[in-house]
Amino acid sequence: MQNSPAIVAVGRTKFGEHYGKEPERLIEEAWLTASHNCGLERKDLEACYLSDCFLPITNKLGLEEGFLSELTQLHVPMEVTRSVSAALLTACNAIRAGVYSTVLVGGLEKMTDRWDKIRDDLMLLEDPWSYYAGGTPESNHELMLRAYIKKYGITGNDAEKLNLALAQIAVKNHANATKNEYAQYQRKISVDQVLHARKEARKSLGLYDFAPISDGATALILTSQEKAQKTCNNPINVLGTASATDYLNYPARDDLTHFIASKIAMEKALQMSGLTQKDLQVLELNDQSTVTEMVSLEDLGFCEEGTAWKTIYASCTDYKGYYEVNGKKLFTNLNGGLKADGNPLGATGGAQIFEIFKQLRGEAGPRQATSETPLCYGCSSEFEGFGTKSYVSIFGRSKP
Amino acid sequence: MSSEPIERRVSYLGDRLKASKCQICGKEYFEIRDYCTNCGRKSYMRMSPVDLFYEKGKLEICTLVTEPTNKFTKLESFVYGIVSFHDGKIRVPGRLTDQIITDGEAVDLAALEGREVVPRFRRRYTVSKSDVVPTISLAFTLADEYYPHQEYKVAAQNKEYELPGIVGYGIYTSRFRIREGGLERAVPFMDEDSVTAAVEAGKNALIHSGIDSANIGKVYVGSESNPYAVKPIASKVAQVLKLGEEDGDVQGVDAVDTEFACKAATSMFKDATALINYPGSGIKNTMVIGADNSQAAPRGCPGGELDLFVGYGGAAYVFGKHDVIAEIEGWYSVTSDTPDFWRRDGEPYPMHGGRFTGDPAYFKHVKKATTKLMSKFNLKAQDINYFVPHQPNPAFPVKVARDMGFKEEQYACSLQVNRIGNTYSGCSPVGLAAVLDIAKPDEQILVASYGSGAGSDAYLLRTTKQLPDKRKRQKMNIKYLTANPFVQHVDYTTYRRLKLGM
Repeated sequence: MQNSPAIVAVGRTKFGEHYGKEPERLIEEAWLTASHNCGLERKDLEACYLSDCFLPITNKLGLEEGFLSELTQLHVPMEVTRSVSAALLTACNAIRAGVYSTVLVGGLEKMTDRWDKIRDDLMLLEDPWSYYAGGTPESNHELMLRAYIKKYGITGNDAEKLNLALAQIAVKNHANATKNEYAQYQRKISVDQVLHARKEARKSLGLYDFAPISDGATALILTSQEKAQKTCNNPINVLGTASATDYLNYPARDDLTHFIASKIAMEKALQMSGLTQKDLQVLELNDQSTVTEMVSLEDLGFCEEGTAWKTIYASCTDYKGYYEVNGKKLFTNLNGGLKADGNPLGATGGAQIFEIFKQLRGEAGPRQATSETPLCYGCSSEFEGFGTKSYVSIFGRSKP
Repeated sequence: MSSEPIERRVSYLGDRLKASKCQICGKEYFEIRDYCTNCGRKSYMRMSPVDLFYEKGKLEICTLVTEPTNKFTKLESFVYGIVSFHDGKIRVPGRLTDQIITDGEAVDLAALEGREVVPRFRRRYTVSKSDVVPTISLAFTLADEYYPHQEYKVAAQNKEYELPGIVGYGIYTSRFRIREGGLERAVPFMDEDSVTAAVEAGKNALIHSGIDSANIGKVYVGSESNPYAVKPIASKVAQVLKLGEEDGDVQGVDAVDTEFACKAATSMFKDATALINYPGSGIKNTMVIGADNSQAAPRGCPGGELDLFVGYGGAAYVFGKHDVIAEIEGWYSVTSDTPDFWRRDGEPYPMHGGRFTGDPAYFKHVKKATTKLMSKFNLKAQDINYFVPHQPNPAFPVKVARDMGFKEEQYACSLQVNRIGNTYSGCSPVGLAAVLDIAKPDEQILVASYGSGAGSDAYLLRTTKQLPDKRKRQKMNIKYLTANPFVQHVDYTTYRRLKLGM
C-alpha cells in the first residue's frame, strides 16, 4: 500500500509547568527534535495538522494556523483539531487519499497560564449542564466508579481490592515515569499516599487518582510508507485510526460505567489494521483518572466488563512492568501515563504515540519494554472530554 | 461566560427542567427535542413536552465535591450526582442543596443514593455584581426532609362567586434558622434570594388553589430585595411557573414588580381583585406575591438594628371568582410622606429613621387605616374574629392590637415574626396565611399592612366554606414550616454568610 501512512520521527518537550516559555517555543522545540531525527526539512512539509484544546482561552490565540505559519515560515494548508489523535486521523486520511505525502502533526497546550480558571473551562467545555449543576472535572470519574461498583455488585473484600487496584494504577504510572526524562512527575508514590489522599478528600478518589494540569508540546512527522522507506530506517506504520463520539452530557448516556465511543473506535481501528487485541503489546491508555485506565482496559476489549480490576490487582501486587492479560504481557502506559507523564490536553496524544514509536523501535532507553516475542504492535487511546470523543490508533513496525 | 443568549436558553430549559418524550417509542430526553433519535424522521412533530418541575426524582449515584469550580466556591462542599426521573428514562446532573457540610465532615454517600429528591429552583452559581443572576432547577433536596414533594393538580371548579376573592395561597421560607433569645428567624441558604422565594411561594399557591397556571392574567411581585435595580422578579416567576397561556417561549401574562417598602404586596390585593372584575378583561385569575430576603446591615453598623429581626421568605395569593376561600369585603389605604426607613439606590442596606419608626410611622398609619376601615363597615374590635397587624418586630403588632382593643386570641395566631422573622414585603401576607391556616368558615379577618415611607393597607376578609376543603392540598403551611424537625439552626456568622448569598 504505497499510500499507507507511517511515522518517521517524533519529538516532544518535557511536560509540566513551562512558566518561562511561550507556546511557540514549546511547539518549536517539539518540531525541531522530530525534524532532527529524520532527514526532513520545513520545506518538505506539505501540510500541518496542529492540535490544541485551550490555546484561544489560555493564551488568547485564535487562528493557531497563522501562528504555526509564522513559526515555520510555511504557507501550506494547516488545520487545527483538539487532540493529536484527531490530527493524526485527519492527516492519515489525507495521506491515504494520496493528497499529501509528508505532513506535520503537532499538539501543544499551555494550561498553567490559566491556572486559576482552567478547571472551570475544562468542565464547562466538557459538559455544560454538569457544570451548571456544580460538577467538577473530577466528579464524573467518581460517579463512574460508584456506578461501576453498583452495577457489578462489588462489595466487601472485592471492593477493597478494587480500591487497591486503582491506587496501584497511580503507583505503577508514577514508577514508570521515573524512567521518563520528559515526564512531569519523575518520582515514586506509594499506595498509602494514594489512599491517604482519598481519605483527605472524603471520597473514593483523591489527588493521586487524577492526571495533572500541564504544559507541553509534541510533534510527529508523517509520510506515506513509500516515502518513509527512503527517509528513515525503521518507520512505524499507522495501521488503523478510528474515532467515535458520544453525548456531552454524561448522566444522559445509556451506560454510565463504560465509554461506548471507545468500544466503537477500537472495533473500527482493529478492523482497519486487521489485528486483534491479542496482537497488541504496547498500550497507551487515556488515564485522566485511575478509573478511566481501568475502564479502558474493558472498553478496548482486553478484559471482560467488570473484571479489569482483578487483572490490575493480580498484575500490580507484584508488578513486573506489565499487566498480565490472558497469559500475555500487556505493557501499559510505560511513559507514566497521563497521571505522571502529564496531560497537556492538545499535546497528550502525541506523547502516547511518541512512547509507542520509541518502544516499537527499541529506543525507549531505561524504560524499554522487553519481551520474549519482539514488540511489533502498539495501540493508543485518547479522549476529548469525558469520553465524548474517543480515538484509537494502532501502530506496527515495518517488517525488516 | 454569562453571555445573555446562552443564559436565556439555559434558564429557559433549566429553571423549569423542560424535557421531551417521543410519542412513538416513549423515549425521553432532557431538553427539548424536535425528533427522537430512535425513531428518526417519522417522530418529527410527534414529540410531546415533559415537565419535571413538579416531579420527584431519585438520586442514583453521588459524590462529594470538596474543591468546587470557581463559581461554586462559596458553597464550599456539597453532594453532586445523577438524578433520574420516570424510572431512569431521564437522567440529569444535580447537586443537593440546603445542606451545610462542614470541613472534614464525612458524608455517607451510599445512604444518600437511591433516595427520592425534589427539584428546587435556585441560583446557579456566583457571578460578579453586574452580571445576570443565573438560576437553575438542577438543585435538589431530599423529598423526606424539610421540603416535601407536592403534586400540582388542576382541580375542577365548582362554585362561582359574585365578586373575586382569595382562591388559594402559598407560603415559603427556608430550612435554616437563627435562634437568639426567644426569637427564631429564617435564614436563606446560600443559593436562595427574593426571586427563588417568590417562585416557591407562587408554586405553593398554585398547588393550593388548584387553578390552571395558564389562567393567571397578571402577576405582581412586591419585594425590596430584588437582586436587580432594573429587571423584574415577576418575569422570572411568570416564566418558571408558566403563568398565562404558553406560546412558544413567551407567556401570555402581564408581570410587574411593585415597591413600597413592606406593603408592596398587600397594596396590590385590591388591584389584582379589580382586574378580574373589569368588564371584558377575560382574566380569570391573578397572583400577588410578597417575598424578601430582608436586608439589614451587620449589627453595630448604621442600620444594623434591623439585623435583630430580619427573616427570609414570602407568601403568594391567587385571586379569582371560583371556589373562593376568603371574600374581600372592603379595604382602606392611607399614605403620607414619612421617611422612617429607606434605601438609596446602589446602597446594599436600608437605613432606619430612629424615633420615627414607632409613633409617627407604624402606629399612626396602621391605626388610621384600621379605624377607617372598621368605621366604614360599622365594626368594633370585638366583631372581628382575627386581626393581622403588620409585624416588623415582636413588640409593635402586640402594642397596636392592644391599643385598638383587640384581645390576644384575636391577633396572637397571626404573629410569625418570632418564628421566621420580618419578611418585609412578605410580612403581612405571611401573617394572613397563618390565620387562613386555622380559620373556620364565615369568619372575619382584618389585615393591616404597613410600608415605610409610609402607608398602610387595611383589608376586611370573610372566609368561606371552601377554606377547610382546600386545606388538604397544602402540605407546606405555617405549622409545617415552623415546627419542622429538619429545620437547621445556624450561628450568627453563618447566618450573615448565608444571607449574603452566592
